[in-house]
Amino acid sequence: MADQTAVQSDSRISADVRLDSVEFSYVHPEAGTVPALSGVSLSLSRGSYSALLGRNGSGKSTMAKLIDVLEMPQVGSVYVLGFDTQDDSHFWEIRRACGMVFQNPDNQIVGTTVEEDVAFGPENLGVPTPEIRQRVDDALHYVGMYEYAHKQPSQLSGGQKQKLAIAGILAMQPQILLLDESTSMLDPLSRDEFLAVVSRLVHEKNMTVLHITHDMSEACIADHIYVLDHGKVALSGTPGEVFSQVETVRRLGLDVPVFAEIAYEVASHLGIHLEQKTLYSRTAAVNGIRMMLSGVAQGSYRDVIPEVSVPRVPVKGRTVLSVSHLSHSYEKNSEPALSDISFSVMEGEIFAVIGHSGSGKTTLITHLNGIMRPEEGEVLVYPRGASEPLNTRKNADVRKIRRVVGLLFQYPEYQLFEETVERDVAFGPTKMGLPPEEISRRVREALSLVGLDDSFLQRSPFELSGGQKRRVAFAGVLAMDPDILVLDEPAAGLDPTGRREILHYAEKLKERGKTIIIVSHNMDEAARYADRILVLKDGKAGALMTPQELFRDTAKMKELGISAPETISCLTEMKKDYPDIRTEYFRTDEAAREMIRAAGKAVPAENRVDSMHSGGCL
Amino acid sequence: MMKDISIGRYYQGNSILHRLDPRVKITLCFLYMIVIFLMTTPAGLLATFLVVAVLCVLSAIPLKTILASVRPIVFLLLFILVLNILTIRTGNPVVSWGILKITDEGILKAVLMALRLFLLIVCTSLLLTLTTTPLLMADSLESLFGPLKKIHVPVHEMSMMMSIALRFVPTLVEETDKIMKAQASRGAEYDTGNIFARAKGYVSVLVPLFVSAFKRAEELAVAMDARCYKGGEGRTKLHVLHMQGKDYFWLILLTCLAIALFFIDLLTQIR
Repeated sequence: MADQTAVQSDSRISADVRLDSVEFSYVHPEAGTVPALSGVSLSLSRGSYSALLGRNGSGKSTMAKLIDVLEMPQVGSVYVLGFDTQDDSHFWEIRRACGMVFQNPDNQIVGTTVEEDVAFGPENLGVPTPEIRQRVDDALHYVGMYEYAHKQPSQLSGGQKQKLAIAGILAMQPQILLLDESTSMLDPLSRDEFLAVVSRLVHEKNMTVLHITHDMSEACIADHIYVLDHGKVALSGTPGEVFSQVETVRRLGLDVPVFAEIAYEVASHLGIHLEQKTLYSRTAAVNGIRMMLSGVAQGSYRDVIPEVSVPRVPVKGRTVLSVSHLSHSYEKNSEPALSDISFSVMEGEIFAVIGHSGSGKTTLITHLNGIMRPEEGEVLVYPRGASEPLNTRKNADVRKIRRVVGLLFQYPEYQLFEETVERDVAFGPTKMGLPPEEISRRVREALSLVGLDDSFLQRSPFELSGGQKRRVAFAGVLAMDPDILVLDEPAAGLDPTGRREILHYAEKLKERGKTIIIVSHNMDEAARYADRILVLKDGKAGALMTPQELFRDTAKMKELGISAPETISCLTEMKKDYPDIRTEYFRTDEAAREMIRAAGKAVPAENRVDSMHSGGCL
Repeated sequence: MMKDISIGRYYQGNSILHRLDPRVKITLCFLYMIVIFLMTTPAGLLATFLVVAVLCVLSAIPLKTILASVRPIVFLLLFILVLNILTIRTGNPVVSWGILKITDEGILKAVLMALRLFLLIVCTSLLLTLTTTPLLMADSLESLFGPLKKIHVPVHEMSMMMSIALRFVPTLVEETDKIMKAQASRGAEYDTGNIFARAKGYVSVLVPLFVSAFKRAEELAVAMDARCYKGGEGRTKLHVLHMQGKDYFWLILLTCLAIALFFIDLLTQIR
């Protein structure tokens, strides 16, 4: 007993944040009390970087709000910098010491210019004017946004807005940084920049960071991971400790990083139990795989060598949509958003469009159903059974085209507007003038395609969870029964389970003969699901090939500034040892089996054992 | 179409007008609004036109951008022009064709009326919206109306609300555009179809727009809380408004000019 109190008071001194069996529930007008946290204890020491994972609705944001005194615990206590958050006398002190970056970059900017926004915090604190000036300039320099001081927020990209948010917090000189899914709306490049700033804050300013995220590779940067499930800490430890429990992590609705998954797949195929150390980092995992494969090469696992099928061949079918020489500029004499794009899409394929933000992806897809008309060039749609193609230039055709080409924009939740889910999904079919029975049939079918049963029909779309709203919006487009579905980042901002579900529905639709055009900036997903990939770069078509061709062509990838999927880089790594490996697999289980297959075929060389121990592959 | 709205469209620059104390600009703007309304003679309006033209040059803003701020009221201008030409029947007839009678006085008055409205818009855009950031504008209103705090008028809160509203104009415009495209993809109609279809089309845009605006408001409130916002009490400012020599100079100069313009108008009227 005495020992325990000693430890506790000790941790109170060193820990910036401490939660002591905290419970918190929200009171919902209809559903009654909804528990968000039920008995959470943890502590974050100074200068530590912790990641907080968990499915949507597992209580992550609530925890951040409790630390920033935006909410108070109903049971238990929260200590920040040693002060009890329920003690009013330190309220402002705690709040100043905590900085919070939220998910949506737009909804946290108060100022009409960058510098006015950074000044907002210090102004509230009553900092004297000359010092505000100094703090604003310092903060903007620190995040590399000084040149933007006089810009308006609407002129910034998403990544710049989030860096602005950090600057706004830095100007208040905080000790604790709370990131509430701050990276979920950013593209990979701006995400990396944002995270670079955060890790500088940890290392240079010794700040304590709590990072809520759905991205497992982000979580790997952290010193410590907490996984929340139903308001409780279900798993906690170093990234290696957490991600070596692959089954538990999956059961909690999360993913493990791709490299860890491959190592796990190889191990479970060979019946090996992995040690925690093995999955600590990418390098460690790759070394682990190398070690296991050398065992295979030496003939220890002769009876489990799998047969692996040759990578799938692309769909060859009828052309359903063709774009020729499409160009578009938003303003005269400015850089064109699209220039001379030509491609055609085959029936029944999944066609991915990838590229960085601002590469023209959204402009391109808005042309596909005639929302935007071609300035130059042509977009033709070939409906099933029609002899003549429809042209988006012709007014008469556009109405028909909208029925053939269903377009789901990014974050489609916002398009819900009816009182009930049923009426919302029925909006499209009703506009098509279908008979009521047909509409009702389509609504039910569309909802069941996205995994929502009839009990949702009479519910209001606004009371659903984020993932459910997304699916209702998806159903709204499906109910129009289009031949071609265009999905703009359909999984953006969802937790890993939500992501998998949405992409699974896309695959199911492909099986039903639909053609899917999917916009993505996640290479792993594009490679895994797409038959062909169109890479856009600065409004130009950089490449149009199958994932296998694209990710084999290292020179091309470098030229287009895209990175290879993790499975490919692991396979390529192993190919150095086992030249027989085909590097064209994008699913972790396939990749693992391919490695084992190739290793099993390899003749054990004398020096193989040495090269394995020399380690260090990157 | 949505991009034409020029409210809150600050044009970045560093001209004399940009640097002038916003309180001076607001005061002058009021003064010139009154002067322009009082103008009745061609000479007076022409002189005002010259002053406004000089302001245009001083602002160093491209003429195209300035004229863009008039675009939303082009139809109103034309309407006023035509209506006045057709209805004013005093003066010497220029064209007389059945009941249609156009007089020289009608044309003159119509042109003057349109010019007056035109100058009004250009003048306010130049002095306020184009050269002053909305936040600075809200700040200076807070400062100008500061004395009202003594009688418990929530001046700080009002100016904060105003600046946030202005800050979100571009965001909401962008969002409206996005929602319209999404609903059009589902078959919504805005300018084709019968009146019910159109109404339904607009409902499908307005409802999501309001829902999202409320959500934004809620999130922004939390974000402001998290950055220690606690009202106007004890708050300091990055940009403190300080009247400098040049501010007094321009205030006096432009006030004198306004008075001069008023007299030019008065004198030409008497004559």
